[in-house]
Amino acid sequence: MEKTILRGRAWVFGDDVDTDLIYHNKYLAETDPKKMPQYSFEYYPGKEHFAKEVKPGDFVVAGTNFGCGSSREHAVYCLKYAGVPVVLAENYSRIYYRNAINNGYPVLFIQGISQAIKDGKIEDGDELEVDLAKGEVKNVTKGTVFHGDAVADLEKDIMAAGGLIEYLKSRAEQ
Amino acid sequence: MGKTMIHKIIERSAGREVKVGDRVWCKIDLSTARDFGGANCVLQFQEVTDKKGKVWDPNKIAFTFDLQAPAHSEKVAVNQKIIRDFAREQGIEKVFDVNWGIGQHVLLEHGLVKPGDVILGTDSHMNLLGAVGAFATGVGNTDIVASWFEGTNWFRVPETMKITVTGRFARGVCMRDLLTKIVGDLGADGMFFKAVEFGGETIEAASLADRITLCSMVTEMSGKVGLIMPNGEVLDWLVERAGEEVRDRIKALAPDSDAVYSDDLHFDVDKLEPMASCPDAPDNVKTVREVAGNHVDQVHIGSCSNGRFEDIEAAYKVLEAGGFKVSPKVRTIITPATREVMRKCAAAGYIEKFLDAGIVFTNPTCSLCTAEHYGALPAGDVGVSTTNRNFIGKVGKGSHTYLMSPMSAMATAVRGVITDPRDILG
Repeated sequence: MEKTILRGRAWVFGDDVDTDLIYHNKYLAETDPKKMPQYSFEYYPGKEHFAKEVKPGDFVVAGTNFGCGSSREHAVYCLKYAGVPVVLAENYSRIYYRNAINNGYPVLFIQGISQAIKDGKIEDGDELEVDLAKGEVKNVTKGTVFHGDAVADLEKDIMAAGGLIEYLKSRAEQ
Repeated sequence: MGKTMIHKIIERSAGREVKVGDRVWCKIDLSTARDFGGANCVLQFQEVTDKKGKVWDPNKIAFTFDLQAPAHSEKVAVNQKIIRDFAREQGIEKVFDVNWGIGQHVLLEHGLVKPGDVILGTDSHMNLLGAVGAFATGVGNTDIVASWFEGTNWFRVPETMKITVTGRFARGVCMRDLLTKIVGDLGADGMFFKAVEFGGETIEAASLADRITLCSMVTEMSGKVGLIMPNGEVLDWLVERAGEEVRDRIKALAPDSDAVYSDDLHFDVDKLEPMASCPDAPDNVKTVREVAGNHVDQVHIGSCSNGRFEDIEAAYKVLEAGGFKVSPKVRTIITPATREVMRKCAAAGYIEKFLDAGIVFTNPTCSLCTAEHYGALPAGDVGVSTTNRNFIGKVGKGSHTYLMSPMSAMATAVRGVITDPRDILG
């Protein structure tokens, strides 16, 4: 992680965003991760335009249990290769969490963001500043700050290696 | 301090003492992938090993073809070929091709699953194998590929929720209805990262099919795995398939009487009614009575949750009580979970009756868990299904689905609108 302070626009989603909404089962036969971003959020009502309009550096913001449902890793790839640098959710469903960590794709556990979304305190298009090292999210547009919890030690090590495969390879070399 | 089942399973596999919250490396007993995700695993493994990699143990890897079997498109056909070719190169013999059916069920029927086994698969409902006490879990392709290196993977030791079930189901009510009630009560994150132990008189008397139904939906509450200690007829069935070792495993894995649980819940089924997960989420739960009379275009019975012989038999009995005819207003599709289930349906004479009643009876496959298979719904259509997810547009953009038991689904097929099965069974 070279840059720890990131700036970008928010795309805001609710609680329990399931993998069919992130990346629909219609496109499961795709095997090239770099072709997956074109299908991101196609089935999410009101966010059908995400894939066309998302810019590298934009953030995905969501409530609790993000990525529930299927085991498809497509749901991580489709955001990672769209250039979304980190997902900012209250918490993550377990398979999505594993898939993110295993790909060295950062996730932060943002306290209170689920309620803030419901209260309209963070909205689509808000300018955010994210300090990955501190786990801090500033909503520049609305002047609010959220704090995030970092992942546990093993997950940190896997992330630092760049993912699970890279972690295993470096461990085997030692 | 006593230990729960998952605690003992992980200690056995990790080879050391563990406590809740620990990150541990477990030995994998079986690492599986299906036609969905399988090709992604193969291509990733080849890429990260420069096409020179050998899997750690070909005997501990299995492939199943179920999501889109037989292949419904050229793209899927190519993916399936990638898997077959890889299995041949690597000497992997456990390849259950398009004729076999839904992966977890096929593995179970082949005696490849024992209590205490740690099993990975590219199916988020892999954990239904907890129905025989195995710690099976759905994972992405990177987890599968990582396990092929050294036969291990990392896990967080979970808390355990205990759910005790008492009472007897009334006529027209079954385990699926209990499950739907639990999903409604606990919500989509009600088992967040937890293992679950199901017990009590109702579970101890339940068939394997019912135990599978119950464990299959732990995923829909974001749980890790639901575990049931095999006993009675289920234990005999498992020993017959997987060998005598099953009995020793059970002794070793029984939870301690002073095991510590994060939650202790109790459900009684005596007064339970037929339940429905309404559009567009599994935890949007009402009684079937509350939505009775609602319009339906298609009924589907099958899936890893409710595709076993007992499920199809329960539906058959509702059809029989309804005069062996489904409403011409709905399209009705039945999909058995496996070839073994299909053979039993044939031997019982059910398939002929289903066909004569106007029902489509398909080969064993996952069917309506994807919009890319049999029975995809067009925009505006409403489906009733015994599958496990009804997220918006899951089986077709603009369509909506109710999830119900096989009995409620068939009652709906008979009348052509959502129907409580007790109205037909009397």
